[in-house]
Amino acid sequence: MARLELQEICKGFDEPVLDRLSLTVEEGEFFVVVGPSGIGKTTLLRCVAGLEVLDAGRVLIGGTDVTRIPPYRRRVAMTFESYALYPHLTVFENIASPLRARKADRAALERRVGEVARLLRIDQLLDRKPHEISGGQKQRTALGRTLVAEPDIFLLDEPISHLDAKIRHELRRQFHTLEELRRVATIYVTHDYAEALSLGDRIGIMGRGGLEQVGTAREVFQRPTSLFVARHMGQPSINELACELAAEGDAVRAVAGGGSVAFAVAPAHRAALNGGTGRLTVGIRPQHIAVLPEGAAADGRQIVEARVEIFEALGATGVLIAETGGVSLTALTSPDARFEPGQPIRLGLATDSFLYFGADGGRNLHG
Amino acid sequence: MTAANVKLVKTLVLAFLAIWLVFTGFPLFFMIVTSLKPVEEINRMVPTFWPETMRPQNYAGIFADPGSLKSLVDSLIVSSANTVLSLFLGTLAGYALARWVRGVVGENLAFFILSNRMFPPVAILIPMFFLFDATPWGTDSYVSLIVLYLVFNMPLATWLMMVFFRDAPRELEEAAYLDGYSPFRAFFKVTLPLVFPGMISVAMLCWIFAWNEYLFANLLTGTTVKTFPVHIPTFTLGSQTLWNLVMAFSLVAMLPPVILFIVLRRYMVRGLSLGVVKG
Repeated sequence: MARLELQEICKGFDEPVLDRLSLTVEEGEFFVVVGPSGIGKTTLLRCVAGLEVLDAGRVLIGGTDVTRIPPYRRRVAMTFESYALYPHLTVFENIASPLRARKADRAALERRVGEVARLLRIDQLLDRKPHEISGGQKQRTALGRTLVAEPDIFLLDEPISHLDAKIRHELRRQFHTLEELRRVATIYVTHDYAEALSLGDRIGIMGRGGLEQVGTAREVFQRPTSLFVARHMGQPSINELACELAAEGDAVRAVAGGGSVAFAVAPAHRAALNGGTGRLTVGIRPQHIAVLPEGAAADGRQIVEARVEIFEALGATGVLIAETGGVSLTALTSPDARFEPGQPIRLGLATDSFLYFGADGGRNLHG
Repeated sequence: MTAANVKLVKTLVLAFLAIWLVFTGFPLFFMIVTSLKPVEEINRMVPTFWPETMRPQNYAGIFADPGSLKSLVDSLIVSSANTVLSLFLGTLAGYALARWVRGVVGENLAFFILSNRMFPPVAILIPMFFLFDATPWGTDSYVSLIVLYLVFNMPLATWLMMVFFRDAPRELEEAAYLDGYSPFRAFFKVTLPLVFPGMISVAMLCWIFAWNEYLFANLLTGTTVKTFPVHIPTFTLGSQTLWNLVMAFSLVAMLPPVILFIVLRRYMVRGLSLGVVKG
């Protein structure tokens, strides 16, 4: 049991992948790294595991510097995205592998493997080979192999992303409740923001070179530090509108689409926007755009006249894409609503919830 | 393809295989027939295709000759020892080339090693004689043949094992490191079992080469050590060749590789398809 510290670690292949990344994961913390594919999430795990030699920086486990310690002496367990089960060994032997490495005695080994297999509900598969079981069962076998090891650090690389939706949900629930995982420091990598928000005690959004933002689910979703973070948290993706600020007396407006649409800037936001001039990107989450029925009160929202482009009823929600003044807006609606392409509608925008990002680099202007 | 076309293709394939069978089967058939003939019958101008007089005693004669038996034992010693050595060195070298010496250096080094198999063996025949003559154990010894055949078998073993190791996912070894196995133990726990079918194929190829090699064995050895290909010409007397004994002995000498192949066929097919990891 120990905390994990990464101090300014650097790793590059042809170009830098991790650039002076620092991170502390406390004992018992479930830390989720989320980001687009190919950004270096797996590289981060491999650096912690010791499978990659760092270009610079230090890795500390429980206060001990393990930067130069090979992976087999680090007490780190990792599941691979491909599961990396040993194809010539049975499920039992796959799970028992870390215990065999330690030369655990036979009775203890059988007891421990049995416990873990029952926990993951694969105890009826112990005699099978990996090619004889399904994807979800493979995943649980791989997880079982890491659980029996009782390591100091757990590293889970996209453990459920290749499974079908039902098993994915079932396993996601299991990650919430697995005592073994919740006791030690865990880094969980995924590209699915919903998984990240659901599981992470804290979430790190990975961009080019390192973690763009680290925070709780609420923090990263509601106060993204950059457009990059905002873009990767949320489905459908946030509306991004390139705007020009224009001061009109007391009010400040963000003008988009070459002057055809203007968004009111909420008074609380004005101070952050360089005195109300210059270019920026306005971010509007789809759930902050409502379709207002005829005659409904504005209720503090800005009313925009728009025209329906596409409507998708997705079961639990509806996704509406509407056009106003040459600008496309995505809104979340009830799935029961009916919209015809071309139909005129009124959109109510919750201007209080708008996010403002600088035109260069996309930092959140609120800080 | 229409049904008629499928039938035509099937017929053609069968016809081809039938012709193929004649080409490969007839020599074997004639060997067997000849091995059962008496000496008087083997040199007839119109050859008989079935022995007029059966002489299975030819086989007994082979085993009565201590030289024949010893030559088979010598061949067994040389080819088995060489196979073990080739496999041991080839596996280590192949693993190194597959995992550690990659890139331009690795590719060229691997190709250079394989290219050692490409020169005509006769080019080094005389130099090898003098080379082994200068060693303490001389030319006419087990060691000389066992070491000499490495020239041909080790590049093959290295190259093939390299290909097998490249096919074995590195991730499995890494998973083993994280389970707590050192690189050395991970190799035996994970990687070696995966390439095992390939190793069996390589062993067979090496063993058959060493078993059948004649040129070098004939020049270097012949008195203390005498492998069976070198022993066969001794059935030639001054005036005639005892073809019946040659054939009987050759058939006996064919048995070990054939039996080996049948026993290990399961692995051979898997190994030579180069797909070491499936599922």
